[in-house]
Amino acid sequence: MDPLTLSGLVALTTILVLFSGVSVAIGLLIVSAGFLLVFDGARSLELMPEILFGKLDNFALLAIPMFIIMGSSIASTRAGADLYEALERWLTRVPGGLVISNLGACALFAAMSGSSPATCAAIGKMGIPEMRKRGYPDGVAAGSIAAGGTLGILIPPSVTMIVYGIATESSIGRLFLAGVMPGLMLVGLFMAWSLYSTARSGDRELLTARAYSWREKFEILPRVLPFLIIILGVLYAMYGGIATPSETAAVGALLCLLIAMVIYKLWNPRDLWVVLRDSTRESVMILFIIAAAGVFSYMLSSLYITQSIAEWIGTLDVNRWWLMGAINIFLLIAGFFLPPVAVILMAAPILLPIIVTAGFDPIWFAVVLTINMEIGLISPPVGLNLYVINGIAPDIPLKTILSGSMPFVLCMVLAILLLCLFPGIATWLPDLVMGAAV
Amino acid sequence: MTGHQTVTQARVGNNYFLKAVGAISTLAGWTSATMIVLAVAITCQMIFVRFVLNHSTIWQTEMVVYLVIAATLIGLPYVQRLRGHVNVDLIPLMLPRPVRFYLCILTLTISIAIIAVMFWYGAEFWHFAYERGWKSDTVWGVRLWIPYLSLPVGLGLLMLQLTADLVAVVLKIDLPFGLEDS
Amino acid sequence: SEELRLSHQWSNQDVRNKVAQIVADEVAAADVDLDIKIFGSQSLFKAREQYTPLSRGQLDMTILPLSYAGGQQPAYNLTLMPGLVKNHDHAARLNNSDFMKALQEIMAQDDVMVLVHGYLAGGFAGTKGCITKPEDVAGLQTRAAGKAFEQMLAGAGASIASMSSSEIYNAMQTGVLDAANTSSSSFVSYRIYEQVKCYTPAGDVALWFMYQPMLMNKSTFEALNEEQQAALLDAAAKAQAFYLEEAKKEDAASADVFREAGVEIATMSQADFDAWRALAQKTSYAKFVEDTPDGQKLLDMALAVE
Ligand code: NA
Ligand code: NA
Repeated sequence: MDPLTLSGLVALTTILVLFSGVSVAIGLLIVSAGFLLVFDGARSLELMPEILFGKLDNFALLAIPMFIIMGSSIASTRAGADLYEALERWLTRVPGGLVISNLGACALFAAMSGSSPATCAAIGKMGIPEMRKRGYPDGVAAGSIAAGGTLGILIPPSVTMIVYGIATESSIGRLFLAGVMPGLMLVGLFMAWSLYSTARSGDRELLTARAYSWREKFEILPRVLPFLIIILGVLYAMYGGIATPSETAAVGALLCLLIAMVIYKLWNPRDLWVVLRDSTRESVMILFIIAAAGVFSYMLSSLYITQSIAEWIGTLDVNRWWLMGAINIFLLIAGFFLPPVAVILMAAPILLPIIVTAGFDPIWFAVVLTINMEIGLISPPVGLNLYVINGIAPDIPLKTILSGSMPFVLCMVLAILLLCLFPGIATWLPDLVMGAAV
Repeated sequence: MTGHQTVTQARVGNNYFLKAVGAISTLAGWTSATMIVLAVAITCQMIFVRFVLNHSTIWQTEMVVYLVIAATLIGLPYVQRLRGHVNVDLIPLMLPRPVRFYLCILTLTISIAIIAVMFWYGAEFWHFAYERGWKSDTVWGVRLWIPYLSLPVGLGLLMLQLTADLVAVVLKIDLPFGLEDS
Repeated sequence: SEELRLSHQWSNQDVRNKVAQIVADEVAAADVDLDIKIFGSQSLFKAREQYTPLSRGQLDMTILPLSYAGGQQPAYNLTLMPGLVKNHDHAARLNNSDFMKALQEIMAQDDVMVLVHGYLAGGFAGTKGCITKPEDVAGLQTRAAGKAFEQMLAGAGASIASMSSSEIYNAMQTGVLDAANTSSSSFVSYRIYEQVKCYTPAGDVALWFMYQPMLMNKSTFEALNEEQQAALLDAAAKAQAFYLEEAKKEDAASADVFREAGVEIATMSQADFDAWRALAQKTSYAKFVEDTPDGQKLLDMALAVE
């Protein structure tokens, strides 16, 4: 069978299998095993456990559980509430009040957590009830947190950037830096929309912030200090020549656990176990997908599919921006259904040669890819953040969360367009800190 | 996903087999979490040794990598029990109840089959490394059958938990795909 | 037609990919109903995960540093031993020695055979200063290529940080690493010249030689018909001649790249070399003999090659 027909068959089978409700990782193993057995014979099947093990045999992957622990240890304390309360007390002159503080808190929290659901849960569990109490529409309350939570994988540290760095052999430090400015830009866009929609709802009261005394403002500062220390500490360790991203992540995890225990009195073994259980659950889920996607990409390569698609695209004579558009639509659709790490691991080996040949910067592309994945996190049917919000506020119907998130999806699409027009938004900071790309 | 949502987990009813498998998977989960915590501690120790003492770090990187691999593989059954492995349930949601039931049985059976195959070859691979006395090609030179052991153990326990899930669906103790009727 | 799969870890421009390509092209030209499909850049197997499937017949061919499999066959560690090979012509003589015959017997136990012999050399680079003699590495965080070099450098008082060659650039940039030892081609392809102050390339005397042959699964080879076997061996002979010539060029070429980038170039004198070797005898050689069955015998065989 010619490789392009074969790739169509693989794509179709993968969609069918994954839609059957089987878990994503096992689904990828099923498809891989099937095609390896038919086209490569039994000897490739024997190799599967070895490849699975090999894909996990990478020191860079350590950062994933570490950055998840950072997030979840802080998320299981009152820290999220402290963060946005501090922001609210200090942002009195900024109109828009609570929703702005919440988005700001999401961005700050994203700088401590590598994962989006953790960010969403940490800020949302206090933020959403508070916003609803003050009369924000359910859609704005839920939508802003769902969207703000997605910043977890754009603002460093980021689990998906680590996975991209591993899949494409790019510098993880550089990728992290590339996410900073686009992350801030997205926060800005989210805030602008939230203000506009709150204003439009006609409730002027929501826009006028409560005034706080200086005493109240300073009182809350010590409670935010530890987080600033963590964020600065992580940045210093990573870019100041002490440790690699994986090592930094371990220090961050330890610091966050200690802060949660010492400052937030998370002493009870039962509570500590909840933190560890949740971190283990999310890490193992992600790492299993990474391993299974590795087996899947072995199958694609072994059947010469990856190579053939890259060659085929190379022969197409299309405008590079049409190509970028097509890639974005493909990523968007994939992101609707699959968790980010699965998309990145399956798509990166195929897309990267195309991207580079077409003259795009792989570091810039990582940011575009990540924003696409963020959209996937707040869109059905597999929108991890939607489930988190649903868990926090079960009485808000999924439909309302969805319609509340829609405008934020448009903000992200706008951000992608801006990045295409001004690639420097992503590449300026890494070039400044680490010198021009290798 | 982290915290705060109520964690769904496999229902066991009064069935002793399901309870036993659930307990084994939970034990595996504790083991996995412990390994991750150990990885944190060892990495911090490594940075201290290298940055503060300026000494060699011989075994730490390798140890941490193997701990994370083992944590992943041995954590598989527990995460399965907690329904933590993400799936796309769009089609199962749209299907009428009886069809959903049979689809669930089908997907679980195929899942068990593929994990069984991988368990088998994983055990063979482990045995191969054990018999030939393979070591890693580092100064530390760890005997590879030790880290490789996580393959048969993790996959075997995952197979067991998946089998329990199948039994629970067949006996109508748990719902197909964990989906409530809408 | 019959298809053989060859896996390696290097990029398209790398000399080792060119060696693979020569074999593939020559076999195709021989028209013996045999195709070699090359999977480069670790697109099929990761660098260190190729030997096992090769020995189990799940992979047909590979080009890899044999010492990667030193954990499975300790004797292979002798193919990356400091000061054992003096220069490329000496390396070529080693390939035809009793020592290599003994190694090939060990490979045969794993159902593996050599198609193309080849050694590549490498040097040292430092972010703070030049590294020519053992005293130069004392107290430096150093990345060494290979276990035996790690043992020797540790013996010289260096602190060892293990990482793959692709991580050297970032580690040097962030200051985690002060010095590195790797192959000439890796120094160039990972653009280490942007991070270091001084480079000590392989020259008339060099410490670091690594045996990186093209290997094939023995049973798979024996299952081919006579014409196919002959075509493969002819192609391999041509590739081996090319490999030796290119290996010689790479050291000088890497020195040029570093010089043009404004990096200081240092030379290792015979006295430096002897000091390293004396240190290696106490550290890596001794450890090798201790860990390897028949280790002393193999070492003597290698040292006997003039
Ligand atoms: Na983040
Ligand atoms: Na989605």
